[in-house]
Amino acid sequence: MAESLRLRNAREGPLPTLLLINGKAVGPGYGPTADHRDLSYTFQFNVIFAHLPEFLQGAALTLGLALAGFWGGAPFALLLAFARTSGSKWIKRLAGGYVTFITNTPVLIHIWFLFYGLGDLGILLGKYTAVIIGLMAATSAYGCEIMRGGFLSVRRSEIEAAETLGFSRLQTVWYVIVPHIVKTVYPALANYFIVLTLSTSLAMIVGGEELLGTAFNVASENYRHLEAVIVAAGLYVVITFAVSLSLALVGRWAFRVKAKIF
Amino acid sequence: MEQILQQLPEFFSPINIRMLVEAMGVTIALTFFGCGLGFLFAFFIVFARQTPGHWALPLRAAAIFYVEIFRRVPFLVTSYLVLFFIAAIIKNASLFAIALIAIFIYATAYTADIIRGGFESVPRTQIEAAQAMNFGRWRTLIHVIIPQSWPVILPPAMVFMVAFVKDTALVSQLGVFELAFRGRELNNHGFSGILVFTTIALLYFVISYPLTRFGQWLEKRLATPRSQKSQRKLR
Repeated sequence: MAESLRLRNAREGPLPTLLLINGKAVGPGYGPTADHRDLSYTFQFNVIFAHLPEFLQGAALTLGLALAGFWGGAPFALLLAFARTSGSKWIKRLAGGYVTFITNTPVLIHIWFLFYGLGDLGILLGKYTAVIIGLMAATSAYGCEIMRGGFLSVRRSEIEAAETLGFSRLQTVWYVIVPHIVKTVYPALANYFIVLTLSTSLAMIVGGEELLGTAFNVASENYRHLEAVIVAAGLYVVITFAVSLSLALVGRWAFRVKAKIF
Repeated sequence: MEQILQQLPEFFSPINIRMLVEAMGVTIALTFFGCGLGFLFAFFIVFARQTPGHWALPLRAAAIFYVEIFRRVPFLVTSYLVLFFIAAIIKNASLFAIALIAIFIYATAYTADIIRGGFESVPRTQIEAAQAMNFGRWRTLIHVIIPQSWPVILPPAMVFMVAFVKDTALVSQLGVFELAFRGRELNNHGFSGILVFTTIALLYFVISYPLTRFGQWLEKRLATPRSQKSQRKLR
């Protein structure tokens, strides 16, 4: 019974199906053999490609989560970077402690804390809210480190010169610091954004329907988890290439940062 | 708050503490062995990538594809890929082994880029001198390139491994009994989420922070002007 099913799978379907590794020949004219080391698996990508629009929606949600996490956390990253470089001693310690804690603990634990833990306090966050807040926390910490590196690399004499000329804090940042550090900070932030895009896959763990979550949803109706996750991986590669290409182009045109795309 | 104080004695029972310490051990073992093996194998990937000759084009292409693809796929997706691939072939495979293979694949891809940057930081004249002395490629690698590039390779590789301690939380989704899995299990048992996840976060911190400091010390110790060049790539 099992052997006849295997023969059937090998030959029907509108799209060709591939045999992965075949411990023995399967096809007309060969007798099926019963062997506990049966290594044949038939890929069936057709059922997954039928759901491609859902995958693309999931990809759009992935990018949305990444953008929300990044731009939500970026102001806090800037604030924390300021706090760590030019705050009072206790502000420096507090900001440093926050950044150290966030960077040494997994983002998954943050998301679980927000999603499952805050329920005890009565704060019920939706799954996407929890994920976005978790990503904002991570962005604020890692972005703070990137920008602090940038701030510290500006020579003290330049900042003193700006002070002498009567620049306000904001003017100092915009006219003195930013032009100096943009060539080092932009690639670092762009790399971080790509890491962030990939880590939106954590939303699947709390039930989110971004790319990986959609893959599991689709696979739950036809049990083709392997094919679904392969398609999702392929789409992640495509998304990453697209994002890094656009970030490199933006870098070249807006900031004159020559970055390699590969 | 009172609820948390009520749960504290039950939460810190000997059984729970032992379970959490074992889980920390699993996390550390996954990180060290997975990243260590990945680091070693990455040398071969980079070596394969630099094989000269037309016949080696498929080998070079395979090495490049492998690294570029697995750097751009999230670790969760990689773990599920490994899980479903192996589950389709081998019945009842050990989940720890599956997680180790997933970590190995991911670490190889990331570390290969670090190693390649390190190799490219060795001056071309050194390699030409080795060629002039009729060193083969393997001999050049062992006696010329690696001794001069390991100060450039080791700090970023260490930083990657430390950052990976946090990523092992994701293999809890495969069912491996490590720290994040135990955390969710305890939360499902009824302990307050705040108590459980703060404790788990602190345990991860205890594993990760000393390694972070060690990595920073290593970076300062091994900093050479050459090491600054290798980190300027937009992914």
